[in-house]
Amino acid sequence: MTKMIWYVLSPLIALVVGILLMGLSRKLLARIHWRVGPPILQPVIDLIRFLSQKSASHGFLFDSGLILSLAGSLVLTLFLPLGQYTPMSGSGGLLVILYVMLLGPLGIAFSSGGAANPYASIGISRKLMLAMGYELPLLLIVLTVMTGYRTISIVEVVRIQQAQGWAIATFPLLLSALAYILILPAILGMRPFEVVGAAQEISSGPVVEFGGPHLALSTLQHALTTYIGLSLFVNLMLGGGSNPVFFLLKMLVVFVLCLCVHAVFPRFRVDQAIRYLWRWPALVAMAGLVLTVLMGG
Amino acid sequence: MTGVEIILAAAFAGALLTWFIGRTSSTAGSAFAVAVLLALTALVALLHGRVYETVFYRGFLGLPMSLRTDSLSWFFAMATTVLAALSGIFSLSYMKDRKNTGFFNTMLLLVNAAMLGVVFSGDLLSFFIFWEIMSWSTFLLISFNRGQGVNAGLKYIVMSLVGSMAMLVGIGWLLGAFGTLNIARLSELIPSASGGHQLVLLLLFGIAFGIKNAVMPLHTWLPDAYTEAPSPFTAVLSGMLTRMGIFGFLLILYVMAGAARVLHSPGSTVPTYNVVLAWLGAVTIVVPTFIAMLQNDAKRLLAWHGIGQGGYMILGMAFGTGMGLAGGIFHTLNHAIYIVLLFMSVGAVQHRTGGVRDLNSLGGLARKMPVAFIGALMGISGLIGVPLTNGFVSKWMIYRTLILGGAPFLAFAALIGSWGTILSVYKFLHNVFLGQLPSKYENVRSSPVSMKIPILVLSFAILLFGILPGLPLKVIDGIVVSFGLPSLDVSLWGIASEAGTLNTVNLFAALAVGVLVVLAFVRILGRSERVGQDSNYSAGCGVPRDRYNYTARYYDPLFRMISPYLKDFFSTLYDGLARGIGSLCEAVRMIYTGYVSSYVMYILLFISAMIFIHLTWNPW
Repeated sequence: MTKMIWYVLSPLIALVVGILLMGLSRKLLARIHWRVGPPILQPVIDLIRFLSQKSASHGFLFDSGLILSLAGSLVLTLFLPLGQYTPMSGSGGLLVILYVMLLGPLGIAFSSGGAANPYASIGISRKLMLAMGYELPLLLIVLTVMTGYRTISIVEVVRIQQAQGWAIATFPLLLSALAYILILPAILGMRPFEVVGAAQEISSGPVVEFGGPHLALSTLQHALTTYIGLSLFVNLMLGGGSNPVFFLLKMLVVFVLCLCVHAVFPRFRVDQAIRYLWRWPALVAMAGLVLTVLMGG
Repeated sequence: MTGVEIILAAAFAGALLTWFIGRTSSTAGSAFAVAVLLALTALVALLHGRVYETVFYRGFLGLPMSLRTDSLSWFFAMATTVLAALSGIFSLSYMKDRKNTGFFNTMLLLVNAAMLGVVFSGDLLSFFIFWEIMSWSTFLLISFNRGQGVNAGLKYIVMSLVGSMAMLVGIGWLLGAFGTLNIARLSELIPSASGGHQLVLLLLFGIAFGIKNAVMPLHTWLPDAYTEAPSPFTAVLSGMLTRMGIFGFLLILYVMAGAARVLHSPGSTVPTYNVVLAWLGAVTIVVPTFIAMLQNDAKRLLAWHGIGQGGYMILGMAFGTGMGLAGGIFHTLNHAIYIVLLFMSVGAVQHRTGGVRDLNSLGGLARKMPVAFIGALMGISGLIGVPLTNGFVSKWMIYRTLILGGAPFLAFAALIGSWGTILSVYKFLHNVFLGQLPSKYENVRSSPVSMKIPILVLSFAILLFGILPGLPLKVIDGIVVSFGLPSLDVSLWGIASEAGTLNTVNLFAALAVGVLVVLAFVRILGRSERVGQDSNYSAGCGVPRDRYNYTARYYDPLFRMISPYLKDFFSTLYDGLARGIGSLCEAVRMIYTGYVSSYVMYILLFISAMIFIHLTWNPW
């Protein structure tokens, strides 16, 4: 019975945490910039306002892409261990997680493709290029973890870490963790990798055509993306959590660290971002994989 | 006559009859061709589950020529006929009002018949004969549109002949060594041959099948051939014909050399061969996928993916575990389904826009051609391997095999290939169907019914095999077992195993509930109004419609970074080789001037040289 509850609780917690992290990010950013900043609950207030408005829809694809994107992200939270709870642990493991992670950006891409706005197209093309940039090291990292622990199940990965120590504290995996830290801002879409939204340049890119409820959905999707990115890092590298509270605390720490980088850095151009991602993080991640294979054999 | 003989007789007779009927009326010819293909599908389906061999001719050099069927043959035959039938239906409207429709139909049936012959061959002699019929009829179809098509066809046939010659040498060697060409007999004899002999044999056949399956560095014929062939035939070519290479590899590796038996026995060279093959597969995945990203021609983009996806099949098959092998075979089927679908969607767009397939000039066609759009959407989802499409399951099986089999670098190649695929196929979808509709395509009509039917059938198949992968996997499991490998724990909705299970129905249910929840949320709380595509993006200002569409050079920053590294080195090399041989032959031709006086002079020179040698050294 408790297991069934987590089918509902996991996505709900993910949503709430994601939204609160968004609020926290605005507040913290403002404090670092010597501003007062909006209240932490500002995203909630915004969401209520968006939902009370009426939005312009460009047809079936425009709506359904967004819905698919949000649904995909919600389903993904079921695959990620939240503390000791993983509702869908036996349905394909990390490989499925990697692929379900696609549904979010792909849904948004289809949706904004349904509009005619060139800014949306530019944003999507940047998003896909940036994803190509960070997926290369990320795949190496995930493969290292799977090879190191000889499993494709994320639940197993967490379990082994709880028994033998965090991945970040064991030798060859340390390199992977390092590479992961370097690419984490890109996965979360934070500066210096904020090329997709780029408010001053392409009017927030993919979400430019969204208003009212559509914008609400895309905000929720963004909140979930943040949660998912952090959760995957904590589960793969920081040993997950023995219970949900510890798990969320770890996520908070990682997020605040990312925010500090976000607050003080300017933004890369997309080609600079790819160049960076394919150089140091990829090299370090590759070194981690090579060492893991050598030491494992 | 037995079932297999009837099928082949019907296939070849059908091709012949189509020619005669097509001469009186091209419409009747096309209708007859489709009827033949559908009948063949039914006949092949009836063959399900039967295993036997039959000799049909004894006359050739005293060698019995035979046909046989088993689970492997049936699987490939079924896929071939179904896809050929769908392509036939598709071509009804595509080829209408074109010249030489009768010839096209005849050749389509002939190719189909030859493919059936290849998969049903019981000995290597018939295999070789059907293989050659397949090659030259393919050549005629690739060159069907003349112009660039002739060059593409020539490239294909030259490479194909190289492969055939290699295969012929291998067959001759087998005949000399074992005195039989019967596949069942050879499978008993080859495993006892020495390691070196096995390796030479595998190499010779590997060249033939590697060329057919376009494994790097033997891939160069494929992009031109896929691009220039008429779209319904590109579908057949990309779907099953190219994958006859995979069938060949399965035949030589698993049926004849018995990889399942010798893979781990000392002294055998099969494992080394397999490792090299797997790495070639990995290279074949990565490089073409990134080259595909740079293409601006819809068919050429898909063609490069045809090469890249072939790498997954090779990788799964060469790795040699039951799950990897099943994944490779399943991927062959899945790839056939979605690539045929994609070429049909492109074909439909070409049909309605007057042959345009330039990714920089199309756009926004989703509204005008919804069925073609659905086809393209499902096709690219399968190609990427989005969960709940068929491509996901087979790729999952291959990844899992590689990761747990301790080959993370091969797995990395496979995974990064998939992520590269996302970029290029989204560009394909966006530039053809999404974004703005150029004003010149304002009056494009929806695809004709005969195109809609195969597109919808295949789109459905992608979802069906993605949600219930057990349907084809049960058959594939039978093939794996027939190779002597342990059975997989296949259920209707996925694969169970200790080290990681896949359950697609769970995934489907979760996603369906997720969509319903979000939908309910939107229905209750959200309000929206349908407006035109360009109503608000310019904030009410009038914008010239075609000017602000972002399609050309879609990934420009990335393009500028990687394009210097993505030259098709082998294509350049082969072209240089061809030119070199051409000029060498040209030089040799200078000797034959055509004047009698020159020849008299050659004779005199020769005789005087002989006399000179005789007088000086007196060697005789």
